[in-house]
Amino acid sequence: MNKRTSISLAAALMATLTLAVSGCSGGSGSTGQDRNGGRNPATGTNGTTVGGTPTKGGTLTVLSNQDFTHLDPARNWVMGDMGFGVRMLYRTLVTYKAQPGAQGGELIPDLAEDLGVSSNGAKTWTFKLKKGLKYEDGTPITAADVKYNVERSFSPDLPGGPDYAARYLAGAEGYQGPAQGKHLDSIKTPDDHTIVFELRRPFAEFPYATVLPTFAPVPKARDKGPQYDNRPFSSGPYKIERYDRDKQLVLVRNPHWDAKTDSVRKAYPDKVVVTMGLKANQIDDRLVASSGTDASSVPWAKLRTESTPKVLTKADVRARLLAESSNCVEMVQMHTGRAPFDNVKVRQAVQYALDREAVMTASGGPALNELASALMPGTLFGGKQPDTLKIPATGDPAKAKQLLKEAGKPDGFATSITVSNGDKGVGEAIQQSLGRAGIKVTIETVDASAFYDTIGDTKNRTDLVYTGWCPDYPSGSTFLPFVFDGRYIKEKGNSGNHSLFRDQPTMKRMDEIAAMTDAQQANEAWRQLDGQILAQAPTAPTVVERMPLLVGTNIAGAYGHTSFGGQIDYATVGLKDPAKSGR
Amino acid sequence: MILYLGRRLLGVVGVLIAIAAVTFTIFYVLPSDPAAAACGKSCSAERLEAIRAHMGLDQPLWRQFGDFVTGIFTGRTMGSGPYALHCGFPCLGYSYENSQGVWDLLMDRLPVSASLALGAAVIWLLLGLSAGVVAALRKDSLTDRALMIGAVAAASLPVYFTSVMLIYGLIRVAGLLPYPQYVPLGSDPLSWASNLLLPWLALAILYAAMYARQSRSSMIETMAEPYIRTARAKGLPRRTVVVKHGLRAGMTPILTIFGMDLGGLLAGAVITESIFGLPGIGRLFYGALSTGDQPVILGVTLLAATFIVVANLAVDLLYAVVDPRVRY
Repeated sequence: MNKRTSISLAAALMATLTLAVSGCSGGSGSTGQDRNGGRNPATGTNGTTVGGTPTKGGTLTVLSNQDFTHLDPARNWVMGDMGFGVRMLYRTLVTYKAQPGAQGGELIPDLAEDLGVSSNGAKTWTFKLKKGLKYEDGTPITAADVKYNVERSFSPDLPGGPDYAARYLAGAEGYQGPAQGKHLDSIKTPDDHTIVFELRRPFAEFPYATVLPTFAPVPKARDKGPQYDNRPFSSGPYKIERYDRDKQLVLVRNPHWDAKTDSVRKAYPDKVVVTMGLKANQIDDRLVASSGTDASSVPWAKLRTESTPKVLTKADVRARLLAESSNCVEMVQMHTGRAPFDNVKVRQAVQYALDREAVMTASGGPALNELASALMPGTLFGGKQPDTLKIPATGDPAKAKQLLKEAGKPDGFATSITVSNGDKGVGEAIQQSLGRAGIKVTIETVDASAFYDTIGDTKNRTDLVYTGWCPDYPSGSTFLPFVFDGRYIKEKGNSGNHSLFRDQPTMKRMDEIAAMTDAQQANEAWRQLDGQILAQAPTAPTVVERMPLLVGTNIAGAYGHTSFGGQIDYATVGLKDPAKSGR
Repeated sequence: MILYLGRRLLGVVGVLIAIAAVTFTIFYVLPSDPAAAACGKSCSAERLEAIRAHMGLDQPLWRQFGDFVTGIFTGRTMGSGPYALHCGFPCLGYSYENSQGVWDLLMDRLPVSASLALGAAVIWLLLGLSAGVVAALRKDSLTDRALMIGAVAAASLPVYFTSVMLIYGLIRVAGLLPYPQYVPLGSDPLSWASNLLLPWLALAILYAAMYARQSRSSMIETMAEPYIRTARAKGLPRRTVVVKHGLRAGMTPILTIFGMDLGGLLAGAVITESIFGLPGIGRLFYGALSTGDQPVILGVTLLAATFIVVANLAVDLLYAVVDPRVRY
């Protein structure tokens, strides 16, 4: 998934906060103390659950600085929003297990009875729906409703959603949604409980795609086009009582949701209130203090870098901090189509000169990041990234100089990098570390709202850009092809492949792996390909971001879900003592 | 008078259409593409074109602007097929971000901004005018000096600083007030006021200081006028001289800036609303700016312009009441 949304929100906050906070935070240099230890103070709560098992009842409050981008299941494609949508409001054919750590990457049937049955060489996928599934008004959920929502996702009136259906379904080219009465023949619903997808090419990982909200049911009678976004109709454990956009979302129990049909969602709280538009620094302070109803609250956005000292210095507060990996890998991406970065030795020199430790400090330190030593995040390697290049964390300027000499640039050269205005400090860390090898870097800071347009203009952009990628689901197929397949490059509006890497053997190998029907074999192949691409140095990975979330003292059952970008798993979070939640 | 009013109202409409045209053109020439932003990542060229057509962005500028302006007066139908929506008078279009009607969004947020602006205005007028008048009447006294030094100090404090200090002092350290959360006046007047108290203060401190300085100099000037001397010589009580003769004439320049200030604030105090988390028009505008939500930006711009132009007109009409010499 693209980082566009989260970055623009973060930068929007940053802009006000630099004004608002400089007066009283006093938290500069917060990360210095952890630099030499190298241990991560936040990993204490990684892969574990904070607060034990919740008690049923009470009101869970979510303190948020923003509104959801889209809760319409056909349009919901922001990691945290997807997690919230599929855990609270709509069920999909298949979903992720409600488990902390690596187990959160495993699939479990949701609306479907199993993980889907493939035939025709993984080109036909059949799902059987469970019996007794109901919407919030008690009407039955049918296979046709799932088909209808997949079709809706093609409508130009409803943009923004995942495009896996468009990329894989047979006969989907040029399809514009069901509005004109046209339907996709490649989705068949022989009866109310059976749905069959015909794909245009083999796709062994199709069950992973059916986790996406595109594969949630929407009854045609309830579809109100773009307005459906403001009141999605529930098939999950909660329904919307009221939704004042950008102000408040109130969820109450859906009496027709049957726990017996759902092995994932625990639905502990009676009521969930999302309060939006709060200042991020105030959310942090309220959760540190955790008094009154704030004790029964969880944050939506991640803890701000400036607030980390208030959390890490107190053991009882720190124990309430979740810091699951967001799986987003940040990289310095080099324009491989242009001199001097068309020379692999020059690109390797950048990899060696880079001080990743300094970049990590500028990004908020080890509580909010981990050093990256591979392209794909650790979850795609089964837990930990390998370190194939073995470059020291602070870089190796001598080796970088030698590589530049071999490339015929003994005196270095001048170049420039584009960073989003939220990453200015990171830009400076890159500038300093590359300067040690004689590469003079000029930083161009671009407002977050224009960042992707600027770096997507392949002709006029700078040699270097700083951006990352987050996989949609735990498979190399949602990472490497998006970032390194030369066939995805567009002259304008380019996204993902910002190194403009176009390597024939790599693309050939990607096609081979995509055609594999054994998921295990495919995974292993992606991992190997990761190392092979890294050796050609189109990018220099720097850090993998974490999702630090500080929960209130009355919160139980909370963990960051590794497949939802480290956002809290709303299937299991609840309260220790519902009586304390007030309201 | 009627003729004058008619002429002025016509002018108001002209100014608003000009502002809409300029705002519209700025968006049109800007490189950002709302269709691409809506489409999200890995958007195929074909889908992008379809989305652009559905948003009406494939039309030429004059056509888009024409539709927008006629839509305000007559309403228009947006979208097509079963998803078509009729956007009634006054149609300002739909937000790109959340598909809500821009007019509805503005009307939903207006009570918040109006509560903030009017409450703050009451405080700053009370504080500012009384400080200014007292200082003017005791010109060069210790009171005058103290008041004016205080005013300079308060006027130099930016609102984002005062806001953060108030939050820090009264909420975080003293714990006297809760973190502000907007409660509608109709549902609970007491908590409406207690939640708005800090934002009111933050905003009023700045304006009160400016109004104190302005009203002081205006009063000093007025009190030196010959007719004040005459009034005094007639043996009128001091109170009547100051309030009826001095204050009334001295208020004319204050009224002018008050009209502008209030008009501007009604359409949202961006910083104050953002810091205190109040869902007013200012925060709506800020959010729309950071996501490039053009219909909302345009709507807020037009509303703000309307408030300022109308406030100006109201001020001009009030002159006739305040100053008997003014006739239309």
